Amino acid sequence: MKKTRIRIKFQDVVPFVAFFAIFLFFTIMSYDSRSSTFRMLTTLNLSTLVDQTMQTIVVACGALFVVSQGGIDLSVGVNLALSGVIGTWAAHATGMSWLLIPVALGVGLVIGLFNGIIVSKFKVSSFMLTIAMLIGVRGLVNYIQASIQAQRLPTELSFLNGSTIKTIIFIAILLIMGYVFEFTKIGRYSRAIGENETAAKFIGIPVAKMKIIAFALSGLMAGMGAIFSLVTIGSTSQQMGVFLEMRVVMAIFLGGVLVTGGSSAKFYKILLGSFSIQIIINGLALMNKSDSHISQSVQGVLLLLILLVSAIASRKPKRVREMPEDALPVGKA
Amino acid sequence: MSTPILEIRRLNKHFGPTYANKNIDFTLKKGEIRGLIGENGSGKSTLISQIAGVQSPDSGEMLVDGKPYSPHSPIDAYDHKISMVLQELGVVGNLPVAANVFLGRTKQFTKYGILNKKKMNRAVAEQFEKWDLPMPPHGKQIGSMMIETRKLIELVRALSVDPDIILLDEITQSLSLNNREKLYELLKRLKDMGRSAILITHDVEEMIEITDTITVLRDGAVVGNLVSAETTPDEIKRMMVGREIEGDLYRSDQSASFDDEVVLSVKNMSVEGELEDITFDVHAGEILGFCGLSDSGIHSVGRAVYGLSKATPDSVYLKAKNLYIKNSTQALKNNVGYVPKDRDTEAMMISDSIRENFTMPSMNELTGPVGFVSPGEMKKLAREMVGKLSVKCESISQQVNALSGGNKQKINLGRWLAKDLKLLILDCPTRGVDVGVKAYIYTLMIEAKKNKIATILISDELPEVLGMADRLIVMKDGKMTGMLKRDEEFTEQAIIGVMI
Repeated sequence: MKKTRIRIKFQDVVPFVAFFAIFLFFTIMSYDSRSSTFRMLTTLNLSTLVDQTMQTIVVACGALFVVSQGGIDLSVGVNLALSGVIGTWAAHATGMSWLLIPVALGVGLVIGLFNGIIVSKFKVSSFMLTIAMLIGVRGLVNYIQASIQAQRLPTELSFLNGSTIKTIIFIAILLIMGYVFEFTKIGRYSRAIGENETAAKFIGIPVAKMKIIAFALSGLMAGMGAIFSLVTIGSTSQQMGVFLEMRVVMAIFLGGVLVTGGSSAKFYKILLGSFSIQIIINGLALMNKSDSHISQSVQGVLLLLILLVSAIASRKPKRVREMPEDALPVGKA
Repeated sequence: MSTPILEIRRLNKHFGPTYANKNIDFTLKKGEIRGLIGENGSGKSTLISQIAGVQSPDSGEMLVDGKPYSPHSPIDAYDHKISMVLQELGVVGNLPVAANVFLGRTKQFTKYGILNKKKMNRAVAEQFEKWDLPMPPHGKQIGSMMIETRKLIELVRALSVDPDIILLDEITQSLSLNNREKLYELLKRLKDMGRSAILITHDVEEMIEITDTITVLRDGAVVGNLVSAETTPDEIKRMMVGREIEGDLYRSDQSASFDDEVVLSVKNMSVEGELEDITFDVHAGEILGFCGLSDSGIHSVGRAVYGLSKATPDSVYLKAKNLYIKNSTQALKNNVGYVPKDRDTEAMMISDSIRENFTMPSMNELTGPVGFVSPGEMKKLAREMVGKLSVKCESISQQVNALSGGNKQKINLGRWLAKDLKLLILDCPTRGVDVGVKAYIYTLMIEAKKNKIATILISDELPEVLGMADRLIVMKDGKMTGMLKRDEEFTEQAIIGVMI
């Protein structure tokens, strides 16, 4: 006889509950008595919401690899800005508008590789390194931005803003990244590193290589995010990618991935978390259009809450010394 | 010696529906050294941690010196002159030695709120000297030290309380031979002082040797109290498992047997500060043993061969694959396996599932076209191994840290046997497991030998290496000092001669 008990972990339920609570709360709060509609649920608002969320998800797809290894990539926001600015510049400078795409992806990848090599070869904490990048690269972005002025997306590429083509590209990215994360060695090794880096090394997992790959993917997806952002907004700007790293990190944590990474990292969680965080931002904007400061405060409080919940959830369960009597070896020999 | 110091009456403790301790009656006299033995999960550690104040009993009473005793924390236990070295209480990694020894009791060295470090260091040095134990360097943080050193620090901490009762849970497994001898001496001294001790060890022979009396536990209940001088290892083993364990634990043949084919050839391998000029060959179907005292470097050999330390370039030649091992990734890819000594920190992803832990070394084999690792194949492999090794668990998605030490070790070793190995490096493969699992691990080793796998067996337990190895390399201070062959050369005396 075999008893299968489905055990639902506390930490796996929280993100779902949070998502629905957030959605319900902000939907109700967005009720407009004059037109007696929920402004959250208007077609226009929903499509904006999905548009914004896509960008977060694309960037989070890559950052998830780093987080699953127990690291963090706070440079995705500036990486996105740099990729976007240089990509646009390259397109205009050469007159070949399609060049924007490979250049943006390339810049993102290079920044990611740089992060990965520094973190793995020099054993620097990814937190400190990417904070340094966050400050340094932003300076670079501002410099380039100022010297070339705002650059518009080449008109040849504006067809990418069509909802069908965008959705197709988006789903393709999801499938590829989801596949790599859930069904290949790269994803499994990454989670093993997050669980126990020493053990990973002692088993023979190429830890340094995996870290470089993770940061490279994170960078590449930041470059991809730049394309999404440019296509949606239509031009580069000073505000490009500002605070995006926080949105991405919060999406990952709000989705239920623990700060320590490991087996808690699941691909579906970034979808859930990205929608949650975007609904909060969108909902706050609907409630009080004029004041964006309060939105930041709410995000701050949320991040703190997430940290507390994951700290409680990751607390070691009491070690069970004795197995219950009915515990049986699966398929006894 | 007749007055009881500790009495336990009808003590019960359960986790969920299962009893970890069932109606335990236990009396410890002054000056008595008591052994506690049982299979993994029989409730020994639970019992001892209740005496230590780490867990509280569900019912029953404990008396110390005739007075009711219900400790709420180890500090509480200290106040009743009961101290302990438990399996996992541990030391604080970021503190130096002295602060760890006097953890929570540094007040005695404080004046006007300022800690007199010199005085404290002197007091610690005195303690180490008093008990004749090797003093680790003062300033160094403990996190960077070997398990053995850390255990010794815990031991000195326990002794510095000047305890009436000292509880030692599986401490000998972490000690090398020379320090074990010191521990035995120390126990004798405590006994002469009229102090008592309760100790847990899986080594039955050792237990008979060093204790006065032995309590055997099975399924949470006491199944017998024995006088050490009047019992035999077989009787104890029988009581532990409740059935007869047949024959010897180790190999029955008394002569070396292996193929001529060299699998691994190590030449002039050095690792700075750890190893010097190591040269040896391992053959197909051979078990090559390594033994030595602490700091002899035997454990470094395993790490260096598996490509985990900076060894002399091109010194580790895997002849079976015609290549030099440079790093662990390469070793993994080329059918080499490694079971490290410190299971929980070096080998297992303890908060991950059994499935992940079993399949992690086999990822290369499980990877199909387009890099696809099939979850179905992973499950299949994990199920198969769990069944083959009869790992006691609820399901393969259960977290590893819920398992007992023996079951964890089965996974730690078994996951390599799922692969088609050429060379298997085992560092203390039976550390912290009971006789049943131990015997099983030896069976697996013999099976591996039959399958022509070359095995490097590194162990702190001399009888184990003697019992299993075809040839044996003895080391001292990072150098090889002798090589012996199974046959007549294999006696403890001969080896200890070369060791010291």
